[in-house]
Amino acid sequence: MSNKEACEVCPVHHRDNLVRLGVSMDKVDFVVALAGNPNTGKSTVFNNLTGLRQHTGNWPGKTVTRAEGGFSYNDSRYKLVDLPGTYSLLSTSTDEEIARNFILFGRPDVTVIVADATRLERNLNLALQILEITDRAVLCLNLMDEARRRNIEIDIRQLSRELGIPVVPAAARRREGMAELTAMIEEVATGKYACKPHRSRNRPPRLQQAIDTLAARLSGQFPGLPNLNWVALRLLEGDQRIMDAVRSRELDSLLTSQPATESQS
Amino acid sequence: MHIETGNRHQLLIEGILMSDPVNHGLALLAGLLTIAVLALLFWPRGGLLGLWSRWRTANRRVLLEDALKFVYDCEYKKIAFGLDSLSGHLQIPADKAARLLDRLQSMGLIRGDGDSFRLTSTGRSYALRVVRVHRIWERYLADETGVRPDEWHDAADQMEHELSAEAADRLAGRIGNPVFDPHGDPIPSPEGKMPAPKGQSLSTLAPGESARIIHLEDEPQSIFAQLTALGLFPGMGVYVTESGDGKVSFVANGEEHVLTSLFASAITVHPTKKTIAGQEKYEVLSALQQGEQAEIRGISPNCPGQQRRRFMDLGIVPGTIVTADMKSPGGDPVAYRVMGAHIAIRKSQADCIFVRRLEKA
Amino acid sequence: MMKQEEPGHNEEIISLANALRWDLGMDFHDKVIESTYADATDIAGKVVTRGDDRQADTVDSRVDRILTSRWLGFPIMFLLLAVVFWITVAGANVPSRMLASLFLDTGHPFLKSVSAAAGLPAWLDGVLLDGMYLSIAWVISVMLPPMAIFFPLFTLLEDLGYLPRVAFNMDRLFRKAGAHGKQALTLSMGFGCNAAGVIAARVIDSPRERLIAIITNNFSLCNGRWPTQILIATLFIGSAVPAHWAGFVSAGAVVFIAVLGIFFSLVVSWGLSRTVLRGEASAFSLELPPYRPPRILQTLYTSLIDRTIFVLWRAIIFAAPAGIIIWVVSNVHAGDLSLASHFIRSADPLALLFGLNGVILLAYIIAIPANEIVIPTILMLTVMSVGLAGQGEGAGVMFETDTAEGTRDILAAGGWTLLTAVNLMLFSLLHNPCSTTIYTIYRETGSWKWTLVSTFLPILMGFAVCFFVTQIWLLFTG
Repeated sequence: MSNKEACEVCPVHHRDNLVRLGVSMDKVDFVVALAGNPNTGKSTVFNNLTGLRQHTGNWPGKTVTRAEGGFSYNDSRYKLVDLPGTYSLLSTSTDEEIARNFILFGRPDVTVIVADATRLERNLNLALQILEITDRAVLCLNLMDEARRRNIEIDIRQLSRELGIPVVPAAARRREGMAELTAMIEEVATGKYACKPHRSRNRPPRLQQAIDTLAARLSGQFPGLPNLNWVALRLLEGDQRIMDAVRSRELDSLLTSQPATESQS
Repeated sequence: MHIETGNRHQLLIEGILMSDPVNHGLALLAGLLTIAVLALLFWPRGGLLGLWSRWRTANRRVLLEDALKFVYDCEYKKIAFGLDSLSGHLQIPADKAARLLDRLQSMGLIRGDGDSFRLTSTGRSYALRVVRVHRIWERYLADETGVRPDEWHDAADQMEHELSAEAADRLAGRIGNPVFDPHGDPIPSPEGKMPAPKGQSLSTLAPGESARIIHLEDEPQSIFAQLTALGLFPGMGVYVTESGDGKVSFVANGEEHVLTSLFASAITVHPTKKTIAGQEKYEVLSALQQGEQAEIRGISPNCPGQQRRRFMDLGIVPGTIVTADMKSPGGDPVAYRVMGAHIAIRKSQADCIFVRRLEKA
Repeated sequence: MMKQEEPGHNEEIISLANALRWDLGMDFHDKVIESTYADATDIAGKVVTRGDDRQADTVDSRVDRILTSRWLGFPIMFLLLAVVFWITVAGANVPSRMLASLFLDTGHPFLKSVSAAAGLPAWLDGVLLDGMYLSIAWVISVMLPPMAIFFPLFTLLEDLGYLPRVAFNMDRLFRKAGAHGKQALTLSMGFGCNAAGVIAARVIDSPRERLIAIITNNFSLCNGRWPTQILIATLFIGSAVPAHWAGFVSAGAVVFIAVLGIFFSLVVSWGLSRTVLRGEASAFSLELPPYRPPRILQTLYTSLIDRTIFVLWRAIIFAAPAGIIIWVVSNVHAGDLSLASHFIRSADPLALLFGLNGVILLAYIIAIPANEIVIPTILMLTVMSVGLAGQGEGAGVMFETDTAEGTRDILAAGGWTLLTAVNLMLFSLLHNPCSTTIYTIYRETGSWKWTLVSTFLPILMGFAVCFFVTQIWLLFTG
């Protein structure tokens, strides 16, 4: 399964890119991105994790609000970056562009996906897209209290198996599940938990073929790029930022020989 | 409290206020006149400034580029090109068209080929650049603005001469580097590559055949306007019921249409084996009454760009069950329950979402 | 950065992508999303078991049926907003006065005595204490209390989930004006502070409608302008009618101005969306989230930090230099008159065409940074230019009088009539946004063009409206 002999607790985040994305990287061991649909209680989770150790500003050059905070756990210092709340990562809106490029180029050590347990299907759309970019993620299944109230039952273990990432049930407003979430963040960040993220199954063959063709060509140029399929998909969507990154070979900087990105087999 | 008044300042004010009342009528007139003049100058599009800038662009270059584009179009579609068709297309007298062709030849953009003319490689890349700007602009209008479909072509016809290739590239980058214009025409790549033409004319289909519309010819404008008025768009499925006798009968979007072959030939289709959504008659989402349920069948191709993406992100994809839940006090928008969330949708948008009504649970 | 070793290969990848895209056809994006949702549906189908949830659902929908109902929707909405404004205006009164007495009545003389003891030169003392300090003190005492009350209340309504319902209820009206229903929210936010309203326009995800909301936000009468409106209405409009009607009529006049602002906001939205920003609503989506109990402390904290302190800080930064300029123009003399007096004299004839006067024009020019200091500046300039003996605190020292009568006497001495008052109220509604807002508009739009349009459109409208009101008024009263 996971590659045991290499550096297991090494952070994988891309320091230079993160600094470029406006994250202050002083005294940070691990970088955690917080993603999720609007109205899922994402900011409550953020506040619970960081307390008052947070500040807000704008994303560099954008009029989109960004919150950033920190917390410590087991002697490691974590930086938590709140991504804009979006329904998807595939559209042209600024919010989505910021979120997807942060995960791709900043390569956070863990991406926490906050999902609304009462509307799992809708929220999984975003979660599945995130799993195309990164394989280090935790699903925080928030609003479990409301789900219980509505008699919605969710098989957490099955969901975790399906997605290939840890799933933590939570009710952030009552601070339920926050300790478990922090523990899980650590496990993924340090590579103790090796994610085996879900891969899309329902793509029409023609589409999958096109992605495969392009991904094969990309792997010739960028061997070892962890998210070939995503880059191929974005090229097919005509994403200017990714096209530039291919042209300028900026993608080279995302190649990694670290175990966390190779451990999945 | 006593305050000293009656100083110079006060007198000045009173002096002006007490002056001849006729002045105020005149002043009013002058004020109205000023506003009228400003409006005349600056009124968007209709204003003198707008007219002036438009007049400035209507120069020889425009004619030249239009001619090149036409030659290119004929080559791409493998239609015969000659002096007559050029003068007809550009609506200029034959002698002027002949002079234009001479100039194009002397500039090395086209060369004579018997009766006809062919583009040189310089001429082709020039033409492709103009076509690229034109189609990117159409895509932009369709995706990012609310400009009506029948206005896209004319607006792009003007823009293709004004926007530089670099500016067009930047615009394309911002809107996701589109490869098709809203009529279904491929957009040339920045290096001037174009795919081979695909599909066949609707008039070539035999009765009983299914196809998907991949392109609507946007010239002449009158035909395109008619086709869109019938609710036909690229991406739509069609099913031919009768053909021949200079007419084609087909079903699209659940409605039977009859077109003369002239109109039918403006529709390019791609034959398909299976039945495509759109051939059975669907209702639109806005037809649902409060409390009624329906299954989404698709979003009309008439709703492109951001709005379409937004809808899909919100879960409006084929197969989703929606319920009309709440009406706003004015009756529009209506909030629909989609995958557990309430999404407010305006009527004009709900008109673009096809649904199949479900029996009440 | 890495060298571009083999640009050819990379370019090849891009062209391959291009060729594949032509091949895939127009509905590529649709297919991607549909397949992702198909996966999501599969997974959700496997792990979710839904029990009977009718009971929980009905509470929310019952509330919604009332809040968005045909008959109760609007009354409840107006009532709630009215309560929010009332709490703001009433609640801000006392702390505002306390802050004013602390900063102005106690702080200012104290600092003056300190500077006198320290032997500061008169000009430095004037620039710093009479100019900068006073303008900052004024801005804080007028601006802080209402914002500290208004923003948390507004954020509470937002957290509760009520504000999206307002957008839902109001969308029809705004759609007709070519705008987004959420503009109802930015407009309401503008009543608190236009800069905050401009920032709030971020919730509108369609660029066109967002721009419309930003440009028209200035037509919402902000906190800084309410006191001006109330004061002038009380002094001139209230006193023009029988005493027992005075309160009612002057309150009505202020409300009329605010409603006129909403009217202009809609009309300008309509005009913009049909001319410069032509194209119907390009995208509209509005999720109505479930109602959730707000977290009061959290809300208080974030709205104080994110909105109140943020906006106040920007206002202070802009007010400080304005105070200096006000003091300088009133104290630097050219010939035997101060710069301010020169301007007032030469601007008077022009200003009178618009039913205003030179003092008002100058006050609005040098008080661009904050509407809060307009009235103190007008009083100071009036006393100075008319040369009232025994009034005010000296050239360049902004002040307010203790009694309304005192203010009216000063203004009357400056030549103010009922017409001037009406025009000032109109002009206070229709003039350029304060510099904090202008700066915020620039930050939010990133465009000088739209910043200039948002700045000059209202002021041109203001001059036009005042001009016609004045000329028609004088035509009939002759």
